[in-house]
Amino acid sequence: MASRLPLQLTLALLKPDVTRVPPVLKAIQHKIIDEGFLVVRSKEMRLRQEQMEKFYEEHKGKFFYNRLITFMASGPTHALILAHENAIKHWREVMGPTKVYRTKYEAPHTIRGRYGLTDTRNSTHGSDAEDTAAREMKFFFPEFCQEVWYKEQESRFRRRMVVLDEDTFVHSSAQCCRDRHTIQYVYLLPWRDKKVWRGGTSITKH
Amino acid sequence: MSVPTLLKSVQGKLCRVLRPHHVLGSISFPGRGKTKFRKPLDPHHEEELPEFEYVGARSTPDRLVFTWGVADHGGLGRASFVRPDHSKGQHHMAFVHHPHRLEFGEYHDVIDIGCGYGFTVFAVHKKSQYTCFGTGINTDSQIGGHEPRQGSSLGMLINPAPLNVALKGSAVLKVSCGRAHTVMLTDTGKVWTVGCNSYGQCGRPIIPDEDYGRTPVYRNLQDIPDPTITQIECGQDTSFFLSESGCVYSCGWGADGQTGRGHYNNEPSVGPVVGDVEGEKIIKVSCRADCVLAINDKGDVFGWGNSEYGQLNSVTDEMQLHTSRRLEFPGMKKVVDVAAGGTMCLLLDEDGQVFSWGFGPIGKGPEVTHSKDPTPIPSTLFGCNEITPEAKAVSVNSGVNHFAVINNFGSLFTWGKNPGGCLGQGHSNDHYFPLRVAIAGQVLKVSCGVDHTAALVKEIV
Repeated sequence: MASRLPLQLTLALLKPDVTRVPPVLKAIQHKIIDEGFLVVRSKEMRLRQEQMEKFYEEHKGKFFYNRLITFMASGPTHALILAHENAIKHWREVMGPTKVYRTKYEAPHTIRGRYGLTDTRNSTHGSDAEDTAAREMKFFFPEFCQEVWYKEQESRFRRRMVVLDEDTFVHSSAQCCRDRHTIQYVYLLPWRDKKVWRGGTSITKH
Repeated sequence: MSVPTLLKSVQGKLCRVLRPHHVLGSISFPGRGKTKFRKPLDPHHEEELPEFEYVGARSTPDRLVFTWGVADHGGLGRASFVRPDHSKGQHHMAFVHHPHRLEFGEYHDVIDIGCGYGFTVFAVHKKSQYTCFGTGINTDSQIGGHEPRQGSSLGMLINPAPLNVALKGSAVLKVSCGRAHTVMLTDTGKVWTVGCNSYGQCGRPIIPDEDYGRTPVYRNLQDIPDPTITQIECGQDTSFFLSESGCVYSCGWGADGQTGRGHYNNEPSVGPVVGDVEGEKIIKVSCRADCVLAINDKGDVFGWGNSEYGQLNSVTDEMQLHTSRRLEFPGMKKVVDVAAGGTMCLLLDEDGQVFSWGFGPIGKGPEVTHSKDPTPIPSTLFGCNEITPEAKAVSVNSGVNHFAVINNFGSLFTWGKNPGGCLGQGHSNDHYFPLRVAIAGQVLKVSCGVDHTAALVKEIV
């Protein structure tokens, strides 16, 4: 489990259509942990239209631009920085293709295929390359410095010496915890004794 | 056996048990000697006994409510699905993939139902001060404010609870729900809205950073020029109001042109839809996601909004349409009902023939996923066979990714995507052609949400 490859960071957004539906939000968070992602930062924020116009500059002029901007400004958004050995590509795989209506047939087991509502209300966003990931992380977490994180925290995250705080949904360094075994246990079994609907079957974790 | 004879024989048996002691002879109880149970001596005594009318001549069959689909968000209205009492043998149910008879429907005379994204709203015949109840997700106050303790409003209800709307003596007649808002129509023709207003779908000015979950804002829409509204319809983030004179009004999200107001912006003020519907007497508007269809009294079809999957291809190749257009279908008979889902549309002509087009499970098997023009679905699939040759579809309805059709015998047929078993077929696999749902009764109305469905059903007996 303790992979020694360096970690990559990506920015993930949980969009307003899922943040207002607690069971779905819970299931997506569960999926993020199940897929082996570590949550470096997490923040709930209400975005303004002007902010989103800046964020989605690259889509300006496309027919869905206005739709995307007004949708993103319609409710609270969860911004996450995820760490994984292959974070950008893996997160895009877990999310599935952008067009939800098509994804529902082509990749029904991805997050968008399962919880997406329409093509714009497509539950999640993920950076598509390293430079955009850096730009987007800067946009949502201006206080977060990648260099410092890589220098100080990355090795602990890489060795999975981190604990998930279920309330804030962030992995934090396990330095403060005394018992190493407890740490491993917490990481392996997030959300113990809870049932989460995952589209097909009811799963009980014990 | 017909119902009256059945009742008569049941009455006979009941009367025998309830016969007075001197006819039955003596009954001694266990522990007090020998048990003796003598049969009546007079074989004709039964005929002399009075008959009771258990079902009155003027009594009408009850209306029941059935719900099915994803149960985790509380939208099915049964508390034990979400919070089971294990001592009573109850189990947690993440989803219910067959129709489940709702207990709430037994105690209330439900007259209309509406399903949103994870919540269900019921209009109830007026007996007390509350005529509108809701259950499910309430993060945007879409089913009113429910605050057991000050400062902690409930984000989810697992049992139906009343919407505390100040109606001043009138009662809610019809309800319709979008993604996170509810529209109510009262018996005086007035419209009330509550819930998320981030696009203006509640018909009031958009307030930036408003926390919709904290305080519910009930809004009485008074700026509709027409005095009487007869039908209400909600897309995911749009609302439509149909007046008695046949005029369509709209408000809400217009990024796909779904408000039909001639622009692509949010529209918080209620106003008439422009374009070809002007001057027509519209009798129905249908919208579940972002594509809108309407029909007039002559049977013409109008459409506007999203057309990314070819829903409005008969008039435009554009992805979006902000002005209503008359859809020309050559050779089509008079259209009596329409239903617009997320990517696909249904249409019903006066002969009861159902047509479908668009993208997705349009009801022609798993191989056909796209149709540009309306193509008929065989009426055999809606119950027309040798035994019931007169069966035909009478009402078409749609969810975002699934369809529900009712025929004149009150049978319900569903197909489409099946998240959480919202088709009610007893499984949660997708279904690509119409199949009858096993419901004990005649289905009067069905309302499809995103991942759950509710039906209003008339008892058979």
